[in-house]
Amino acid sequence: MAVAELHGGGIAEHVHPEPHGFIRKYIFSIDHKIIGLQYMITAFIFLVMGGMLAELIRVQLMSPHGTLVSNDTFDELYSVHGSTMVWLVIIPMLTGAFGNFVFPVQIGARDVAFPWLNMASFWMFPPAGLMLYGSFLMGAPTAGWTEYPPMSLQGAPGTSMWCAAIFLIGVSSTLTGINFLVTLLRMRAPGMTLTRMPLFCWAQLATAPLLMIATTALGAALAALFIERQFGVPFYDPTRGGSPLLWQHMFWFYSHPAVYIMILPAFGMISEIIPTFARKPIFGYRMIAFSSVAIALLGFMVWAHHMFTSGLSPALQLAFMLLTMTIAIPTGIKIFSWVATLWGGKIHFTTAMLFATGFIVTFTIGGLTGVYLAAVPFDLHAHGTYFIVAHLHYVLVGGSLMGIFAGMYFWFPKMTGRFMNETLGKWHFWLFMIGFNGTFIPMHWIGLLGQPRRVATYDPQFWSSNFAASLFSFIMTFAILLFFVNALWSIRRGKPAGHNPWGARTLEWQIPSPMPYYNFKKVPMVFASPYHFSDPLPYRGLEGELDPSVPAPVPAGHH
Amino acid sequence: MAVEHREPGAELDRQFWIVTALIAIASLAWIAFALAWDITKVLPEAVRPADLIDALFRFLLAASGVVFIVVTTYVVYFSLRYRRRADDPPDAIGIQIHDHHALELWWTIIPTVLLVALGIFSVRIFSGIYLEQPTNGLTVEAIGHQWYFDFRYPGINGVITDEMHLPLGVPVTLHVTSQDVIHSFWIPADRIKADMVPGLINTLHFTPTHPGTYKIICTEFCGTLHSDMNKQIMVVQDDASFKKWYEGWKVKNAHASNALPGTGVSSASVNLAGGSAANGQKLFTSKCIACHGTGAFDAKVVGPGLKNVLHDPAHPQLLNGTPANEDDVAKLIKSGFTGAMGHMPSEAENSLSDKDIADLVAFLNTYK
Ligand code: HEC
Ligand SMILES: [Cu+2]
Ligand SMILES: [Cu+2]
Repeated sequence: MAVAELHGGGIAEHVHPEPHGFIRKYIFSIDHKIIGLQYMITAFIFLVMGGMLAELIRVQLMSPHGTLVSNDTFDELYSVHGSTMVWLVIIPMLTGAFGNFVFPVQIGARDVAFPWLNMASFWMFPPAGLMLYGSFLMGAPTAGWTEYPPMSLQGAPGTSMWCAAIFLIGVSSTLTGINFLVTLLRMRAPGMTLTRMPLFCWAQLATAPLLMIATTALGAALAALFIERQFGVPFYDPTRGGSPLLWQHMFWFYSHPAVYIMILPAFGMISEIIPTFARKPIFGYRMIAFSSVAIALLGFMVWAHHMFTSGLSPALQLAFMLLTMTIAIPTGIKIFSWVATLWGGKIHFTTAMLFATGFIVTFTIGGLTGVYLAAVPFDLHAHGTYFIVAHLHYVLVGGSLMGIFAGMYFWFPKMTGRFMNETLGKWHFWLFMIGFNGTFIPMHWIGLLGQPRRVATYDPQFWSSNFAASLFSFIMTFAILLFFVNALWSIRRGKPAGHNPWGARTLEWQIPSPMPYYNFKKVPMVFASPYHFSDPLPYRGLEGELDPSVPAPVPAGHH
Repeated sequence: MAVEHREPGAELDRQFWIVTALIAIASLAWIAFALAWDITKVLPEAVRPADLIDALFRFLLAASGVVFIVVTTYVVYFSLRYRRRADDPPDAIGIQIHDHHALELWWTIIPTVLLVALGIFSVRIFSGIYLEQPTNGLTVEAIGHQWYFDFRYPGINGVITDEMHLPLGVPVTLHVTSQDVIHSFWIPADRIKADMVPGLINTLHFTPTHPGTYKIICTEFCGTLHSDMNKQIMVVQDDASFKKWYEGWKVKNAHASNALPGTGVSSASVNLAGGSAANGQKLFTSKCIACHGTGAFDAKVVGPGLKNVLHDPAHPQLLNGTPANEDDVAKLIKSGFTGAMGHMPSEAENSLSDKDIADLVAFLNTYK
């Protein structure tokens, strides 16, 4: 009670009644942890679908005149592959899934600020996915995940369905952004000042405004595209007074920040995992936290670096080039800080830590090629080629997806109370590293030497590299398969893990696994940063959490 | 590099410095390799900024390679050296350092300096590509279609498909645009590209420096046959060969009758008697000025300049291949025409009457 009094019983004190029945518990749940898992499972299903599309693409490209599918089908494959991975896998995974599951507990809250809104956000996600895949029935979009008009105005009817699907998932993102932002700002436990927040929370704090603000631009762009396609109102068609560049500006005003939506939370996960296993405080906490915010802010001011060849004025190109380069500085700070955290540690190489360490290397490659592309003259050569394909996969697979895997191995015991199998996990890691790098490294040079992206057939001079990329992609897919086998097997049969198997110091690890619906019996009080491994835990009021004789909190004044 | 909070074991020992020295050696070797690498062995350079862009690429390769070597080596070295051993107690912890301001300052400053250098280098190159204004240059227009490119040259009426010829050493101003969807015009040997956006004209400047035949590739998805939009070439040749090629096309196009691509030629003639030039001028200002100037043929807005449409010996034919006389101009205005430059609206689309057309032709006839 002492804590509640201290705290004055604010919104963080609100306890939901225990949900009864399968439907309220697992389907229409308002519990952030269940919603997180719902996001996770749905996103993994889409990862499988998007992965299958990717393999069809790679099989087609095993020969310069691939005959597996027609040109038009091929265009559908990569368009839906890209849209799936961005909107149905990486973004929901890092925000909806890990965001929901982890950060409210890390700040000592009992739920997010708006649990019903949270449920609504989730329930927009599966229909959006079904709509996207449903578009195959009427001719899926073909102009890539970027759907530039006027090309997308010529696209099959499924392109309008694509607009609607992405619009829906965009609304879901916006609502999640609002929800997370309010939660992070208003629901922290007493004593959990901003500068005591775990870095994953900082990452979510930087991401939430991006979700909230940038996504609205995408919504407007999509609505206009839909209206133009269905009702002929010319927003983008230049022969009728529209502007194709309007779409590009609006699309990238969203999609560049979206790159940070897809990487900042992964940065946050890495910043939790590395200190935990190195048994060391994260190096340069303030700089890492600050750099997340800096990246998010700068992220709003660089979108036109995707448009250097579109015909921007040279003055704008100059501005966007310089701003884009600036982002390399906070990003570098993060990378160097992680490396420095390894120094002098007692590093425990669990699978989670292997993925986190591998992340530093693979993400660095993606980050560095990003600097290449920021330099306008180089971009004039590389834009629209396989070099871009290589760069974006190093960021989104070598970065985001590696982060997601690290997070899975790390938080799986929290979700299920069991470990994932470490041996299989290590196979997953090493095969994934081999497969992933083997797939995407060759794309750098085939791009620079003349292979454009989004082609179903290509110049035979690039055959060997494409063939190698395809072979390695099978290894990568096999590694991901191992992951799924491991996860499904471990849910039931994994070694029991207890509540804090890694000796981690953030709040979610101080309560039982799986976490009870109320999270904390008493909202704890926080009096220092979590990263001082030589000190006792900086929390008060957690004594009864693991003690089954202490009763669950009573929902007060609940309807 | 002393550590501020003196934790036990927080000194950098010999082994660390040996690894650091190895990193330094590897980095220097890499820089030497990157800066000396002759890129033209794998991808020819055809024009002026290509060599500059390659230099920029070498700089990027050198600098980013060093960052990569530093990060990866330390990650691997620390991972091996500081891994937990079997005999470590389960509660063993690492050295409890939180930060080190001097170090953090350095890894902010060094990248900043490199980025500033990169920025300056880049601006110097791309300002040339966009802003150069050569006085003695050649202007070429490339127009994207689903799924091929057309080229237009000053003095050659009509279009040339398949090949873009350029004389060696003459600065080129290349305007690109598109007739349908967005394409992107890339010549890997030039190291530059520009999107072909319908309704927009994008411009690149470069100077051919190496004779040869180079591929042109579309790098913006443009529909079913986008993958095949890489069959056309740029030919850089000496001045004499270029002139020969150029004059050949001039003659060819001048004699071609209905051979040019285009639709909408009709035979309904218009009675031109009694056309009023004054009225025609008014009509022109309200109906035509959006797409046509009253300058020479090359002074293009959307359609060509119309000043000499009737009385220019270098312009014996209209774009639809019919002779440039009053009757055929009238027919073209009546029927409209869609050709390589775009769509010229018909009488109905422009809401004109036959009388208006007569007036317009009378007006165009005043330019002699
Ligand atoms: C929407 C833009 C547009 C408008 C408005 C327009 N034109 Fe055109 N016009 C064109 C285009 C584009 C062409 C070239 C077609 C091609 O060859 O691709 C053209 C071609 C022509 C030509 C043939 C030129 C030649 O050298 O062969 C004439 C003559 C002409 N227009 C007259 C007119 C007149 C008179 C009007 C006003 C009533 C007019 N145009 C209004 C776009 C327009
Ligand atoms: Cu971007
Ligand atoms: Cu194309």
